[in-house]
Amino acid sequence: MQRVIERILNLLAYLLTVEHPVTADEIRNTVAGYDRDNDSAFHRTFERDKDLLRRLGIPIEREATDVFEVEFGYVVHDDRYALEDPDLTDEERTALSLAVQAVGFGGRPLGQDALMKLGGVVGSFDGTQLGADLGERADTVAVAFAAISERRMLTFEYRGRTRRIRPYGLVHRRGHWYLVGSGSSSDEVRVYRLDRASALESGDRAGAFSPPVGLNPTDEVLHHPWDAGDGTEIAMVVFDEEVAWIAERELGPRATITHRRDGSIEAAIDVAAPAAFLGWLVGFEERAQLTAPPELRRRFISYVEVG
Amino acid sequence: MTNSPKTAGRINRLLAMLPWVIGNPFSSVDDVCTRFGYTRVELIRDLNTVFVCGLPGYGPGDLMDATIDDDEIVVEMAEYFSRPLRLTAPEALGILASGKAVQSAGSGGDALDRAIVKLERVLLPEGTEAVVIDIPEPRFVDALRTAAIEGRVMQIDHTSIATGEGKVRDIEPWAVFTTLGNWYVSAFCRSAAAERVFRIDRIRTAKRTGSRFTPDPAPHEAAVRYTPADDDVHVTIRLIGEARWVAEYYPVDVIDDGPEAMTIRMSVGDAAVAARLLIRLGRNAEIVDGPEAAVATADLRSRILERYS
Repeated sequence: MQRVIERILNLLAYLLTVEHPVTADEIRNTVAGYDRDNDSAFHRTFERDKDLLRRLGIPIEREATDVFEVEFGYVVHDDRYALEDPDLTDEERTALSLAVQAVGFGGRPLGQDALMKLGGVVGSFDGTQLGADLGERADTVAVAFAAISERRMLTFEYRGRTRRIRPYGLVHRRGHWYLVGSGSSSDEVRVYRLDRASALESGDRAGAFSPPVGLNPTDEVLHHPWDAGDGTEIAMVVFDEEVAWIAERELGPRATITHRRDGSIEAAIDVAAPAAFLGWLVGFEERAQLTAPPELRRRFISYVEVG
Repeated sequence: MTNSPKTAGRINRLLAMLPWVIGNPFSSVDDVCTRFGYTRVELIRDLNTVFVCGLPGYGPGDLMDATIDDDEIVVEMAEYFSRPLRLTAPEALGILASGKAVQSAGSGGDALDRAIVKLERVLLPEGTEAVVIDIPEPRFVDALRTAAIEGRVMQIDHTSIATGEGKVRDIEPWAVFTTLGNWYVSAFCRSAAAERVFRIDRIRTAKRTGSRFTPDPAPHEAAVRYTPADDDVHVTIRLIGEARWVAEYYPVDVIDDGPEAMTIRMSVGDAAVAARLLIRLGRNAEIVDGPEAAVATADLRSRILERYS
């Protein structure tokens, strides 16, 4: 392992200082540690070293060595290699370290290597454990994050169609990651649930668009499943005393609540997507009653009658 | 023949340590060991490696210079390694999202707030708040967390999601955690004399009983999982069209996945769970097999309709 580490450090030092694309042959004949006699041994070793460096986030790019584009070589551009130093203090590093320990993605922490790159961590770790989990699909979310961060177009499969969007933001709410962006040709902002997206790929060009000024992704993502739709009804629902507190917590401040003397409540709820709303109401079983509007009430009754 | 993860880990740490010692000359061995999780022996081994590496030519003027003098580290002739390596996308997401999750839950502090502002400035485009984590804490999270740390027995009035029944219990809280958008407390339930996990938004009231218990120093697993039990209710359901989401959302066995419909088998602790689901799905689901669930569904249907008669 010792020799491997020396060879890889030598390779990286060379690529960082040479300032123009260098061919595999040049590397073989210049960098200490490579096999100069055995062709296949050299190529195997070089491919492995390149893979390892790329996995660590080092942008080794393959580019033409001159304008004729006959020969290709490898180069590391300094501006893409290095991190702009966020200039953290040790106190800030400790706060981030506590956060990384308290939060998991599918049960595993993510971001500990980041802390090391940002200057490591000093100090003790006896904070209270939060124990938050942000879901299994860190890989997918990371592809979307990179596209947002570098302002690249993002292509993915969603509900049986291929989408190509300008990605602006990510929101984690109610246990799901939502991606906020707009289509390649329209400015209308749309929301996609990332766990339903697959085959994410970001475009080749960084800085391909500017996000709309003042857009707040969190405003685009629904609070309740029945917020998305064309409906404009206001449903009136009575929740019995034993479930009133649950309804009140789930509805939050966006519903108008009247407390009644027997402990029940009457809630006025904006409903844009009736189907989702009626499904939610079933969860309260016979402890809730939809009183108005009459049309929605009739719809609920026939919804429950089916079967 | 492959480069092992161990090699990758060593190089990653070297490339993090070098910019630090170059940027902070005369750092003490102890400080660098703590910061990057080195033992003294490991750090010296890595610095010895640096000492024999450098630029082509590999003569005295080409190699990096690494010395420990009077317990202080000096690395020179290595300007090309003086800037920290940029974060990979998972690393950047991990650190920023973790910080924002803690901030959203209200458990952060000023230092965390400042760190997040600094990270966003270097990781994201200007002008929008591009990553938002929304996991607000419901009531009692703080009280239960404190009780878990201090070993205080709590009396909670908790409504079961499955049965809708409220019940007052004395619990010894172990851990408070959030997953899939909900907050939970895992505890030893004195009333049931068994380990239980409770959803915190279904706790109506929580108060100290005055009794104490000795918290277990070993951390408890913070997870909600379905544990099969002998009295579970099994039901086989045919899902049509949009109702396929059920297979993604609940732990189910997919028995048949055809173009028209999908057949799944699910096990639930209480038939009421299956009944609510079946009524919600309406025409998009039908029971293939499961007598208890069928009875519970018919019963729930008539109870709701009673209210509208």
